Amino acid sequence: MSEQPQETRVGVDIGGTFTDVVAVKNGEITVTKTPSTPENPEQGVLNGLDASEDAAGYAPADVDFFSHGTTVATNAVLEGTWVDTALVTTEGFRDALEIGRQDRPDIYDFDAEKAEPVVPRDRRFTVPERLDERGNVLRELDEDAVREVAAAIDDIDEQSSSGSRTQSDDTGVLAVAVCLLFAFENPAHERRVTEILREELPDVSVSQSSAVLPEIREYERSVTTTLNAALKPVMASYVGNLEREVRERGVDAAVKLMQSNGGLIDADAARSRPVNTLLSGPAGGVQGATHVAARAGYEDLITMDMGGTSCDVSLVQDGEPVVSTDVAIGDYTVGVPMIDVHTVGSGGGSVAWVDTGGALRVGPRSAGADPGPICYGRGGERPTTTDAHLLLGRIDPEGFLPEDRDVGVDDVRAGFEELGNEVGMSPEETAQGVLDVANANMARALRVVSVERGHDPREFALVAFGGAGPLHAPTLAAELDVPTVLVPRTAGALSALGLLISDVGYDYSQSMVRPWGAVDAATVAGAFAELRAEGDDELAGEGIAPERREFERVADLRYAGQSFDVSVPVPDGEIDADALDRIEARFHERHESRYGHADPEEPVELVTLRLHARGVVDSPSTAAVSPEGTVADAIAEHREVRFDDQAYDAPIYDRDLLPAGGDIDGPAVVEGPESTVVLRPGQSAEVDPDGTLVVDTGVER
Amino acid sequence: MSADSAAGDDAEVDPVTLEVVRNGCVAVAEEMNANLVRTGYSPNIKERRDCSCALFDARGEMVSQAENMPVHLGAMPFSVRAAVDAFEGDLNPGDAVLLNDPFRGGAHLPDLTLVSPVYDPETLESEDQEPRLVAYAANRAHHADIGGSTAGSVAADSTEIYQEGLRIPPVKLFEGGEVNDNVLEMILSNVRTPDERRGDIRAQEAANETARERVHGMVDEYGADTLESAFEAVKDYSERRMRSEIEAFPDGTYEFGDLLDDDGRGNEDLPVEVEVTVDGDEVGVDFAGTAPQTEGPINAVLAVTSSATYYAVRCVTDPEIPPNHGCYRPITIDAPERSLVNPEPPAAVVGGNLETSQRVTDVVLGAFATEAPERVLAACQGTMNNVTFGGTDPRGSEDTDAGGEPYAFYETQGGGFGGRAGKDGMDGVHVHMSNTMNTPAEVLETAYPLRVLRYSLRPDSGGAGEFRGGLGIRRDIEVRGHTARFSLLADRQQHAPYGLEGGDEGERGAAYLYEDAQAYAAEEDAGVSVGEKLPQKSVHDLDPGSVVSIRTPGAGGYGDPDERSPSALARDLRLGKLSPEALRERYGVDPDELDGE
Repeated sequence: MSEQPQETRVGVDIGGTFTDVVAVKNGEITVTKTPSTPENPEQGVLNGLDASEDAAGYAPADVDFFSHGTTVATNAVLEGTWVDTALVTTEGFRDALEIGRQDRPDIYDFDAEKAEPVVPRDRRFTVPERLDERGNVLRELDEDAVREVAAAIDDIDEQSSSGSRTQSDDTGVLAVAVCLLFAFENPAHERRVTEILREELPDVSVSQSSAVLPEIREYERSVTTTLNAALKPVMASYVGNLEREVRERGVDAAVKLMQSNGGLIDADAARSRPVNTLLSGPAGGVQGATHVAARAGYEDLITMDMGGTSCDVSLVQDGEPVVSTDVAIGDYTVGVPMIDVHTVGSGGGSVAWVDTGGALRVGPRSAGADPGPICYGRGGERPTTTDAHLLLGRIDPEGFLPEDRDVGVDDVRAGFEELGNEVGMSPEETAQGVLDVANANMARALRVVSVERGHDPREFALVAFGGAGPLHAPTLAAELDVPTVLVPRTAGALSALGLLISDVGYDYSQSMVRPWGAVDAATVAGAFAELRAEGDDELAGEGIAPERREFERVADLRYAGQSFDVSVPVPDGEIDADALDRIEARFHERHESRYGHADPEEPVELVTLRLHARGVVDSPSTAAVSPEGTVADAIAEHREVRFDDQAYDAPIYDRDLLPAGGDIDGPAVVEGPESTVVLRPGQSAEVDPDGTLVVDTGVER
Repeated sequence: MSADSAAGDDAEVDPVTLEVVRNGCVAVAEEMNANLVRTGYSPNIKERRDCSCALFDARGEMVSQAENMPVHLGAMPFSVRAAVDAFEGDLNPGDAVLLNDPFRGGAHLPDLTLVSPVYDPETLESEDQEPRLVAYAANRAHHADIGGSTAGSVAADSTEIYQEGLRIPPVKLFEGGEVNDNVLEMILSNVRTPDERRGDIRAQEAANETARERVHGMVDEYGADTLESAFEAVKDYSERRMRSEIEAFPDGTYEFGDLLDDDGRGNEDLPVEVEVTVDGDEVGVDFAGTAPQTEGPINAVLAVTSSATYYAVRCVTDPEIPPNHGCYRPITIDAPERSLVNPEPPAAVVGGNLETSQRVTDVVLGAFATEAPERVLAACQGTMNNVTFGGTDPRGSEDTDAGGEPYAFYETQGGGFGGRAGKDGMDGVHVHMSNTMNTPAEVLETAYPLRVLRYSLRPDSGGAGEFRGGLGIRRDIEVRGHTARFSLLADRQQHAPYGLEGGDEGERGAAYLYEDAQAYAAEEDAGVSVGEKLPQKSVHDLDPGSVVSIRTPGAGGYGDPDERSPSALARDLRLGKLSPEALRERYGVDPDELDGE
């Protein structure tokens, strides 16, 4: 870590329940949590800043760096509260957006529904024009037809709002997406359509598929482009308000936002490509986990962010989060690069029940935050995993049960007694059973996530965060034969921490489907030069000095006739015939490791060129955290904690008092302000200089 | 059955162990599947995911399955049974049995199934113990070619199985962990793309290897005896849930019948008849009255008929019940010998899997609908609209400028999903026995000398009803600069998908041929069809520039059209899914009446 000037950095992450603020002031980390305000998210940011300024002792004007993880775009997609949008596409393809790929969402459920098309059929318009697969014009664009379409779109303004998924009141169409066949090969027609629309409809924002996602596959490109169009006014309004409020407060630092790919962008970029922010929050968490783990010396990770209703799982390889271009957000698969987050329906609020076949089940139904588990005292009557932890002594009843509500351990036990009666087990056995089943669910999900991506979980360290992650992780890891679990000190606010250590990052791509033998070095070099020029412009716009700009080039290749691309890093330096040969050789190697086979004799195709432009931001230096005193001094109490139907008198440690280098042995519970770590008998843990708990799960490596 | 007595039935396996082991069994199948999809060579496996994996216990009864294709649902047990019967007492550690014979455990020839026994690892290491069999791993994958008269091995004009490709009875492809090269080379010599086949078979072996490793882990954890009891408990569990679901249907015999258009050889209007008898917590399904086996390639072997039946029963009961042998215990299937739904060799069968399976589903669901229509839906499009283009790509590959690469492009098309009690059917999806993804137009045009001129929903094709049927799809494809061999294997072009509870039939499918772009454009201008209507099962040579237009069936409607809400009609009208004319004719409503809705 390089020498840093004294500075103050603030990261604000809005979650479903809490808005987390992490402030790093002169190396010291302060975490604050305030309730989120879903109706008016910018108010939640301001409330969070109030709390953070008080707790960490800084003034708004001191803030040198301000970054933000937002769920505005995500919520708009999940709730369908985007603006009314129209689509202009190639003649003959009006319904491609609605038909999709023809698969149905559930094979056996007769009640299943397809995703509503982002743009309803009466707002999808076609224009005569056609390109071939190399971008050659087969049919010229009919500009008069485009003007007629513009008039028709304008006409919708006059009508009452008809989109079933929109909240806007009779405002008509506010956004238009333009998505023409093969526009990624030749954007001329799309550009001309956009120009005409802008002339004819000056108040409507236009998104162009060749700008949003210049990649092959018309359906995926259309979904991504229409979503971007539909979200632009939503994001513009939010970011505008946020910038104004933060500015008025006295923060001078530019507002940066986290994208789904783990890179930060400035407010203008978020306004023009909101579709890139759909996984803003989870991406911050994975970035935070990656950072903390790297400092502890681990680079291959499974990250596990478990909250009340679900658990987000991702993989990190060689210190880089695995990025995917087909992540589903709600009902929509979005084609832009996103950290590959897989959500499992298992959380602290997952409800336990006995099904008609007599098996004990946990989830997928969740008690959520309200009424929540029995132990929240908000009227929850069905036992959850959180209640099981409480009954078995893993969560401190004293500290956890709300004082202002009439709920006690007896209420929790009564819940398990009732459930236990259905299966002929004692309350404690039932609670243990609930945790066993919850862990079996999660183990299955984690294993399949790893195996699908070609990895063996045993070769990874598990990083656990979120309120419930550290409660389960050591046991879960043992089940998966994972030798190490890492629990960051800021396990409850890792997304906000991730906002402070991430670089500025933009992704660019260009599909170019060609037999590899027909690819010439000059064309590839030219395409990369264009992508790089875009990246340079955008980084310069953010005030990133040239020496802090890094560019990673990647080529997606595949065997001819296959549909699975493999991303291959392109070597630095000039692209010549020799570089192309090296790319091809790397492709065969990567294919072998990803898919288990390769054939250098098989013909290869180029599919897409990608460039990641990075503006390097120095991570804030953080002070080592090591309280005075010994491990024994950190023992707050001893409590009865049950494992596998055996009771232990286990030490309960106060995490804030654990000194760096300290070792603890299970069975033990480590309680911190943000999370509780449970070590099984036979497991042990060490505190590293950052305060990260490094758990040895007792599994042989 | 109450939970108490249920728990008492499996005294040694408590409800927690039951759920944990059940999860473990499903995880094994899912991991096999993930590995098969990941390491498979062909797009058929990797992208279309036309493959399934399952775990069986030592009795050869299925305990868990990860299936991507419903048509594999009930067919895998036939494979394991055939493999075990073929090598009774002669299966050893490291062996794996390959088969595809539809008359001995297979479904149709492109589906290759690999079955591997799994043993208690402790007994494998021990010198004085016989290896103890604990499970079988099995997986099935649709191979892109298995020889026969047509590239892709989906010949719409075959009349005997011998034309459909290489028939593989249960053979040991692996013995003691070593591949039997004689067998493998024999297979590879009979297929058009041997390298791809070798790769896919290797992926299938790797999938079973995954299962072996995971089952060994389970034996280490629980011991072979407990695992055996747990497998029983897992099957009993599904059985209990299935029986309690069946009990909810009134006792009685429900009858239903429907027709297949033809077999492509001039035999038309082929009846598929069923009698479903619910007796307490059991159900019998009898196909007596169904047409005899026929000359064309649409005979569905018993494994396929069973899959379609199990699929239908699963959908009308609780689809959440984990599929395993226990689910099938309360279900008996009778199919007359030498019939369309239980043929004998040498019947041609490739379309039985694709088309007849859909009609079997339609009639079993139709029978349930006579007593419990609210749990069923109106008929879906009832076909897979199989289309194959083949020929020589006139575009020179740029590095050699030689051109002349042969190609074969196979795809299926979705259509209408039936109207349901409470909601309209989905528009333009794969239905029932199929759930593959389509090929994007941009990918298709890049890879093959074809051009997609139109890809749209078919307005007015959904059957009218309180809840209308889903719309079919229209896909028009132009042949570019070469003569293409075109094969069509479709149905529901003569006999429309039925409606339920007073709902109307869906619009039938159709296929048209236009000799050139001019003729095609003329139709757009004239608004009436000027193309040549193609028979639903036929093979043609298409001239350069000609256009084929595939129109897939809409689905049946549910409930009386007069009950359809004005707002739903107004929405259909606004979205252009219903024309003003159809609104008047089918719903008796004038468009002006809907103003203000």
